[in-house]
Amino acid sequence: MFLKLDRIRKEYDGKVAVDDLSLEVPRGVIYGIIGPNGAGKTTTIRMIMNITIPDSGSITMDGAPTGTAFRNNVGYLPEERGLYKKMTLKEIMVYLAELKGQPSPKTLETLDHWLERVDLIEYKDKKVEELSKGMQQKLQFVTTILHDPALIILDEIFSGLDPLNMELIKGIILDLKRAGKTILFSTHVMEQAEKLCDNLCMISRGKKVIDGRLTDVKSQFGKNSAQIEIEGDGAFIASLPGVKKMTEFNNYIELHLQDGADTNAILRSVTDRVTVRRFDIVEPSLYDIFIDMAKVDPAELEQQKEGAGV
Amino acid sequence: MSKFWVVFKREYAQVVKKKSFIIGVFLMPVMMGAFIVLPSFFVNATTSKTEKLVVIDQSGLNIGNEFRESLNRYKLDDTTRYCYEVKQVFELPADDSLRFTVLEDSLRRLIANEELKYMLVIKRGAHLCDTCVYLVTNSDKFRTMSRFENRLSDILSSVRLEISDVNLGVDSVLNLTRRLSLPTRDAKGESLPFLVKYMGALIFVMLMFGMILGYGQMVMRSVIEEKNSRVMEVLISSVTPFQLMLGKILGLGAATFTQAGIWVVLGAGIYTMKGAFNIDASIDRLIFNPAIVIFYVLFLITGYLLYSTVFALIGSIVNSEKESQHFIFPIVMSMMLPVMIAMYIIQEPMSTVSLVLSMIPFFTPTMMSMRLVFVAPTLESYSILSGILMQASIGFVIVVLTTLGMIWLTAKIFRIGILMYGKRPTFPEIVKWVKY
Repeated sequence: MFLKLDRIRKEYDGKVAVDDLSLEVPRGVIYGIIGPNGAGKTTTIRMIMNITIPDSGSITMDGAPTGTAFRNNVGYLPEERGLYKKMTLKEIMVYLAELKGQPSPKTLETLDHWLERVDLIEYKDKKVEELSKGMQQKLQFVTTILHDPALIILDEIFSGLDPLNMELIKGIILDLKRAGKTILFSTHVMEQAEKLCDNLCMISRGKKVIDGRLTDVKSQFGKNSAQIEIEGDGAFIASLPGVKKMTEFNNYIELHLQDGADTNAILRSVTDRVTVRRFDIVEPSLYDIFIDMAKVDPAELEQQKEGAGV
Repeated sequence: MSKFWVVFKREYAQVVKKKSFIIGVFLMPVMMGAFIVLPSFFVNATTSKTEKLVVIDQSGLNIGNEFRESLNRYKLDDTTRYCYEVKQVFELPADDSLRFTVLEDSLRRLIANEELKYMLVIKRGAHLCDTCVYLVTNSDKFRTMSRFENRLSDILSSVRLEISDVNLGVDSVLNLTRRLSLPTRDAKGESLPFLVKYMGALIFVMLMFGMILGYGQMVMRSVIEEKNSRVMEVLISSVTPFQLMLGKILGLGAATFTQAGIWVVLGAGIYTMKGAFNIDASIDRLIFNPAIVIFYVLFLITGYLLYSTVFALIGSIVNSEKESQHFIFPIVMSMMLPVMIAMYIIQEPMSTVSLVLSMIPFFTPTMMSMRLVFVAPTLESYSILSGILMQASIGFVIVVLTTLGMIWLTAKIFRIGILMYGKRPTFPEIVKWVKY
């Protein structure tokens, strides 16, 4: 196991931010820490980064405590981003890599490559303040990986990125994974995690809800959910045998089915009453799994999603 | 400690590379020089125009005409024209108040319209009563005033002498009653004029004040910038807060001493040409006195470390420079205090009050340097047991210990404060961080 968090706990003024959280991040995977805002993701990451000290519990990398060697071998992109406004791109890249223990000649070897990769090469000798916000985000992402760390930690990496840059960054993350790096990222947007991560851990109110490989987590929940699009009033569907729960969305209805429910029987009963335009048996989304496992109010989550503009 | 050096290097380069640093290094001495030289230059500058005056003399003692003659000694730069031209001496009988009033009124109007510079009124009994002579003018030149005063004093003295029983010439009386300006020498028979000491002490303190406050505030601004730009979190994931803090303080400290070093070189250059600048030769005894110089450098270093640590502390708990303002005021005051009470320290450098004040660590660097200028022993009479050297050494130890304590305290608050954005912490919260 690469990175291991063992029953870490952090309290602020009597409020538990992270509650006996244990995680194991295997080498060479993309690992997502997922949960709504305020679940304790950033606190967990800050503890991994030695920025805040856990009240109890231990964090180890390859069995060793996370000291200076660890700091040098990790790239960290915090949620609150920013760089020195008055330094040039080149200066700041050299400086931040040097702080990670990489001498400047070595940084200069790969500097152009990375700036080209994120389309910032023409700004190399310009000051950071001349960049747009999106450009600064790309620059900061590059400074995170410039010293070739084995572990890359990205806190809410996609917040504030436009779709084009998001794809660009995703591409780089996948390349890094192919190069054997381990990427740990946090997000409150489940759809992003679903597209990107191999392994994941869901946390809610400081506690772990579920963790493991994405495929395992999903198969554990089975194909027990169906989406149905109908014309007319579908209120009766909730009381059909085999339907555990029904959620009505704008243009479709999502059904949570009991284990071993007869989907054919359900479909027949529905076609008897109304016209069916679509009926899909679907894998549960991470969102559904989270709602199911964390027993949180979906309305609360919906609000956050809208707030985040996703 | 290599990461400390990375921070150190950046902080140093960020300051020294700036144009403002180069400008500051050369502009500051020029400005200080200007402050010292310009006022005396302007006071001594001669007027280039003959000034016109009128005298109304009601004394009946011919004072007006004598005054007119006595002014002939003042010539303009070209030495052919006079500084003052007495247009007319109106001699009026003492009891003709009507004519006097009319005349004075019309002359006052001329002065108000700036057609005339001065009107000297000498009333009856001028030699007996000082308020019987007065000058009406639209000018404030105090050199002219002192010239008029001197001439009139001499004339009135001779008038008084004539009516008295003393049978002596005016010149001999003035000679007999001349005042002494007491020259001072130290035990070795050498003289160090008071003005040299005073200016020396003031310049030493002001330089220390400028460098400590200037660079100390830079430490604070640099911390605030990193907090505001949120780059802090990245830094803290790479270096420890202590490495960051120390790198900043010492990196900017190195910039301070680069500046001081350039000034020493510049100063040495000026010193070799001191003849051309009219610098008092006794300055040697100030700047070549090892007691003064060594302690000054020690106090500059420790003073900088102490104050910049305090500034780092402030930077870590505030969110903007605006918020830092009310913390800065007491700091500036604690550094200004020695300048404000300089006159007392100079008069009583070895008094208990001076001693106690100079042992308060935040005052020590400036206060002790100032005292040293006045009472430091000369090289020949050196003894570590000499009062002031002993006191300065103890003061130095106190400052060092306070600085170490301050660094310890700041390190505790700094590592938490730098990641607190938004709300400024309350005092109880800060106390909690220290205990944590």
